[in-house]
Amino acid sequence: MTTPILEVRGLVKEYPGVRALAGVDFDVRAGEVHCLVGPNGAGKSTLIKCVSGAVEPTAGEILIDGEPAATGDPSTALGNGIATIYQERDLVEDLTVADSIFLGHEPRRWGLLDRARMRRHASDLLRRLDHEAISPRAHVRDLRPAGQQVVSIARALSRHVRLLIMDEPSAILDDSEIETMFGLVRRLTAEGVGVVYISHRLDEIRRLGDRVTVLTDGVTVASGLPATTSADELVELMVGHKVAQLYPERPSRDGRVLLEVRGVRRLPDVRDVSFEVRAGEVLGIGGLVGAGRSELLRAIYGVDGRDAGEVLVDGRRLPPGRPDRAIAAGLGLAPEDRKSQALLLDWSLIKNVSLADISRFQRGLIRVRAERAAAEEQLRALRTVPDDGGRMARELSGGNQQKVVLARWLLRHCRVLLLDEPTRGVDVATKAELYRLVADLAAQGLGVVVVSSELEELCGFCTRILVMREGELVAEVDGAEATELELLRHAMPDTQEMLA
Amino acid sequence: MSTSPVDEYRGVAGRDDGEAPSSGLGRLALPTRIKLQEYTLVGVVLALVVIGAVLEPDSFPTANNLRAILTQASVVGVLAIGMTFVIATAGIDLSVGSAVAASGIAGGLLIDSGDLVFVVVALGFGLGLGAVNGGAIAYGKVVPFVATLAMLAIARGLALLMSDKNPISLLGSDGVRWFGTGEIVGIPASIVIFLGVAIAGWILLNRTRYGRHVVAAGGNREAARIAGVPVRRVVFSVYCLTGLLAGLAAVLLSGRLASASPVAGELLELDAIGATVIGGTSLAGGRATVVGTFLGVMVFAIIFNLLTQLNLATEWQQIVKGVIILGAVLIQRPERI
Amino acid sequence: MSFTRRLLAVGAALVLVAAACSDDDDGDGAEADTDAEAGAAEGEADTSEPGETVTVAASVPPTDHGWLGQIAAKAQEAADQWDDVEFRLVEAEDADSQASQIQTLINEEPDVLVVLPYDGEQLTPVAEQAMEAGIPVVNVDRLFATPEAARATILGDNYDIGVKAAEFLAEQLDCEGNVVEIQGIAGISVTQDRTQGFADTIEELCGNGIEIVAQQPADFLPDMGLQVMEAILQANDDIDAVYTHDDDMSEGVVAAIENAGREDEMILTGAGGSCNAFDRIEEGGLYAATYLYSPTMAGSAVNLARLIAQDRGMADLVEPEVPSEIIVPPTQVTQDNVDELRDLCFD
Repeated sequence: MTTPILEVRGLVKEYPGVRALAGVDFDVRAGEVHCLVGPNGAGKSTLIKCVSGAVEPTAGEILIDGEPAATGDPSTALGNGIATIYQERDLVEDLTVADSIFLGHEPRRWGLLDRARMRRHASDLLRRLDHEAISPRAHVRDLRPAGQQVVSIARALSRHVRLLIMDEPSAILDDSEIETMFGLVRRLTAEGVGVVYISHRLDEIRRLGDRVTVLTDGVTVASGLPATTSADELVELMVGHKVAQLYPERPSRDGRVLLEVRGVRRLPDVRDVSFEVRAGEVLGIGGLVGAGRSELLRAIYGVDGRDAGEVLVDGRRLPPGRPDRAIAAGLGLAPEDRKSQALLLDWSLIKNVSLADISRFQRGLIRVRAERAAAEEQLRALRTVPDDGGRMARELSGGNQQKVVLARWLLRHCRVLLLDEPTRGVDVATKAELYRLVADLAAQGLGVVVVSSELEELCGFCTRILVMREGELVAEVDGAEATELELLRHAMPDTQEMLA
Repeated sequence: MSTSPVDEYRGVAGRDDGEAPSSGLGRLALPTRIKLQEYTLVGVVLALVVIGAVLEPDSFPTANNLRAILTQASVVGVLAIGMTFVIATAGIDLSVGSAVAASGIAGGLLIDSGDLVFVVVALGFGLGLGAVNGGAIAYGKVVPFVATLAMLAIARGLALLMSDKNPISLLGSDGVRWFGTGEIVGIPASIVIFLGVAIAGWILLNRTRYGRHVVAAGGNREAARIAGVPVRRVVFSVYCLTGLLAGLAAVLLSGRLASASPVAGELLELDAIGATVIGGTSLAGGRATVVGTFLGVMVFAIIFNLLTQLNLATEWQQIVKGVIILGAVLIQRPERI
Repeated sequence: MSFTRRLLAVGAALVLVAAACSDDDDGDGAEADTDAEAGAAEGEADTSEPGETVTVAASVPPTDHGWLGQIAAKAQEAADQWDDVEFRLVEAEDADSQASQIQTLINEEPDVLVVLPYDGEQLTPVAEQAMEAGIPVVNVDRLFATPEAARATILGDNYDIGVKAAEFLAEQLDCEGNVVEIQGIAGISVTQDRTQGFADTIEELCGNGIEIVAQQPADFLPDMGLQVMEAILQANDDIDAVYTHDDDMSEGVVAAIENAGREDEMILTGAGGSCNAFDRIEEGGLYAATYLYSPTMAGSAVNLARLIAQDRGMADLVEPEVPSEIIVPPTQVTQDNVDELRDLCFD
């Protein structure tokens, strides 16, 4: 067997009061995709940062081609051909594609930027990635997330990458875009590049990976397992014991109609959508990114205006463009991007929870003790970690931030919840918990609408599933009978025609 | 649910994968950090007092001088409390200094109708100017910097136009003079009013729904809107508030000056903004502290009082003032920018 | 209109005195040779007779301050009395914009430019450009750096304000006591001259008898005057007199003194000549004197500009041309003469 490109032995990283990594063993061979899985907070990001030189490990060794490498120096890591594509897109939106690819190592001629050469090389790289459709002169801002990711990968290639680390690359992509990205990764591995692939989506491991390593609590509980290891087994390794069931009982739909959406239109994203939501049901809305699902929720809720159509809650019409009125009527929205659309990251959990219903605590002045007690009660009921209401929202993991948003609406006694990508960026165990929570809420008589790009989860726990394509509802499928393939077929225009 | 697999996770799930704790300070909850900032400023104030007591033992640490300092702080102080609300919404109001002049002149023009009319008109005029700012910003979607910069010019122009460039004497108006020279239980009226506004501001910001909405609108506008905060109305209202307080500042200043001057209040906006920001209120919005602003105002007032008493040459005054401000901000800067 | 012309005459006479005096370094331009032009009508009897129609453009700083406001008003007043003058006045926000404004004016080719520069030093080059372009410049109040920048200059004497105030206070205090000086904007020549004249003269007359216990700028602004004086009052238990650089600003200083109930302890002098100050002086008490730094000089400047453009001399002077420098001395206003000078105050 050849020497691995990267070998990590007994890696430890300590922060004051916290042991982020407590002994990690891990290796990547040329031409393989090595998946890294583990719950949030397991230390995956810290591990990546150690390997890419962003942080200095406390103990342990990092070997490159069998030789110990200097640690804590990003430029050494780059020099060794290690490139990282982070979870947060790290491109400057105002730059052109070519500028972005060569940011930091621009080709120069007589001290000046050699833009022609830059563009030429950028074209070559994009062609190598089979994406010559992206123009080197285009602005990053104008590209779709998938396109931006291609640029990130091209940027890694421009530095002669031998080891590519990808941190949750699929989180921002829809299914068809994920396929394209997989194609790219396979192309790279065929050229001998080693890939570390981090994802919460266990199905991706089977489809893309060669081996898989499970990281929990800063320790590699299993390293280098074959990718064929079953999902149940992996979850068990992560959780430490058997998971009874990823998805809860499917809620039934026999309640009365709570929310009625009639012919809602907001061009160009939403075209004449009508549906209803009953008490006790979880209604899934699937579709590709860009199909208009988030826009539909926003138009219903009133964050954005509507061109036509009406929204009724309990038979009473909601005025367009008025989230406050929607809330008063009993609606609650957990938006797509928790950090930028739902939470005040520098606020305490208490204030985040009570924001939509402060009046309740105000008798002349806000009674802060009552506010704290009520907020913490909701946080505890949702098993938020931590449930100390004084903590800042910023400190919580994605799954727990989502719970804070849910707690806000539960405190408000909201009756119809609109959840936009509620499990994005959430580890598998917390996902299971969120599914259960949502099912419980439905059982208590709430109506829940869930928008998700993970078709698998829609099939897993929704009562009914609507599929959107190009702004229109194109299908309604019973949750119990739905399959990912069927949903995808409805969601993608070309396959629709192919199959027809 | 009690047997949920997730129970095992409680120990680790609190940490965000993307943000491993980087230092002890990084994990301080925000309220703690604002408090820390306020303590630092208390330290700065105390240090200035000690320095003053050493350098000017006869005239600085006296009850009389404390009254003088607080009286001097009252005009900027009242403006800075309003500014705290505006900056909390990630806005700025550059027009307060000019609004002070215009409100004073507006009241002064009607001084013959009575002292109460002066007060009501000054407050009303300030409120009106603020409402124009607020309307342009909240409903006209003009950037606060630009809208209030325009108002800075317009209000100054109005003050000069309405007064025909002349100050209006208020020597005979005992009612207005009371705001500058009168006392309430032995404490100068302007100090009582300033402290009253500060306390009311603290309560409004920290203990009412309105205050929460103000800070939420500045911290994350989209999130606030989705949580049902009437963001536009809130933004509109904070400019009305600074306008109203500019009117009040005009009353206080006119009372002390015994005249309404069209050139009054020049650069007052910078002192008000400066005091607010060194107090710890974030220019980016979403973080506001009235106590900090109060302390910031006191730092400015003490520096001014002390340096003038020391009769330091202007050039040194400027340098010392700048160094103290920079120092105060450096000590307490938050680690996240 | 009559007093404007009277003052002009007085000023013209004074130029000879000024030229003779060698104590003032401002006098460079005074002896600048006026090369007699043959064409000039000898012994012009009455310059109020209409001549050829001329255009006069004036550029001044923003006229929001009382004195500057009067400058604009007096210039306009002077221009309005002449049928043969087309007059235009523009205000500039700062030195830079005034420079570009003057450049624009040069392109419009007026017969004469009247300039009260924001800052004499900074606007010298552009004034020289105007002169080189054949447009005579009349410089008002704030001196240009070189004599080539102006055909004629009319200015008050800031140094002399300090001198006269010092003489007055020295006499009132019998050369004994504590004096506070509230200055204008730090770092401009007006402030420096008024401070220097005062300091030099106090020293000369009283030696160490009078001490300047505090000296702080308040930017010519009443509210700054108030704030500064309040702090100074705290620091000084015994103040006998206050010398301030400006009447408007003094309003705030006076308010501070009166608010502290210390108006009987000291006397105060102003400068400029506002009607409010005149009222105070008339009442007696704290406000003892002011020094007229009359904005009428702007009117005189326009009149000079007209004569220069028409190529005429001044009626009461033999020379066929307008003199190159006219210094208008400050007039002391006290309770004794406030009545007779009433006409000269400005609002």
